[in-house]
Amino acid sequence: MIESILLVDDESLFHLVFEDACSLLDISLSLECVSSADEASQMFDLMYRMQKPRPECVFVDLNIVGSSFDGIELVRKINFEYGNSVVIGIISSSDETEEQSRAIQSGAQFWIVKCDEIEPRLEDFRQDYAGYKNRTNPFKIYK
Amino acid sequence: MEFSANDRKKLIKLCRERNIYLEGNVLKILQDSGDDKFKEYIENAIERDKEMRKKRLSITKTIQEQNRELKKTTEENHELMEELRETLSLEEKTKRELEKNNTKLLVSKEENKQVHDELRIAIKDAEFAKLKAETAKKDAENDLDLIQRKGQSELTGIIAKYALFMILSVGLITTGLFIFSLITGKETQLIASTWSNLFGILLTNAFSIVGTIMGIKYGSENEKK
Repeated sequence: MIESILLVDDESLFHLVFEDACSLLDISLSLECVSSADEASQMFDLMYRMQKPRPECVFVDLNIVGSSFDGIELVRKINFEYGNSVVIGIISSSDETEEQSRAIQSGAQFWIVKCDEIEPRLEDFRQDYAGYKNRTNPFKIYK
Repeated sequence: MEFSANDRKKLIKLCRERNIYLEGNVLKILQDSGDDKFKEYIENAIERDKEMRKKRLSITKTIQEQNRELKKTTEENHELMEELRETLSLEEKTKRELEKNNTKLLVSKEENKQVHDELRIAIKDAEFAKLKAETAKKDAENDLDLIQRKGQSELTGIIAKYALFMILSVGLITTGLFIFSLITGKETQLIASTWSNLFGILLTNAFSIVGTIMGIKYGSENEKK
């Protein structure tokens, strides 16, 4: 089970879906959801200053409406500042190869394609999670 | 996480009497502390929580789907509104152009009407001028005819005067010579026949002249008619 998860997504209804799916699949006990990349960035800064534990895994939406930078930029920022201590990937309805290449370059470890049935993908991800945590898994797309 | 025996009893009592259970991820970290009843309570609570989450997940997904459809419909409506706005704008532009052209046409019509009026006045003037010219022509023709007739009458008068004068002169001279011959007793045979012949010729000529004059006069009157 993942210690703590942070979801960065502008769609508040998806927060509920993700929370319920994670709970049903016993993926994590601790889940926090924020609606913008700026908010997530500030949260990481605050955690760093207050010496609080950071989330173990971060799911970032690709296009976060109302943010000053997109999901890939947030992934790059978190990877640059916190390195290998955070498992981070993209969760998006997009399945474009070009964007996925950008995500790999920014340090994303996985890409989950959003759809109505998100649970099977999250289940697959949960099974692969150990590999992401110890950085042995290659970049994978769940669709 | 462990509860005291008293708290466990209270929780079990609460679920039995009022059907109220603990909910959420806290259930996953609860320990039964060897209490079978509380173990059953935790299992039931987890089962209930799962059912509730499934239900909520299903509802949330439905709402999410409806939201997507609503968003799509809103976008379509927005596009339609944009198209409608563009069409209205185009129509407004066309209307303005039509109004502009209509104004131009009205101005042209007014100008045409003015030109038409001017033309009508000019035609009336021309007709009036034509009438005046025709009247003047008629007057001139009448004057010319009058002058011609006057000239002809004068000429006829002069011709008649000179012809009569000559006839009278020749008649008088011949008659004078004939009388003189008769008085003087000289030979009158030659002069008498000459007088007779000459008188006949002159009389014939006089009638011929009068006839010619009358013919000219009759002819000119017919021509005038």
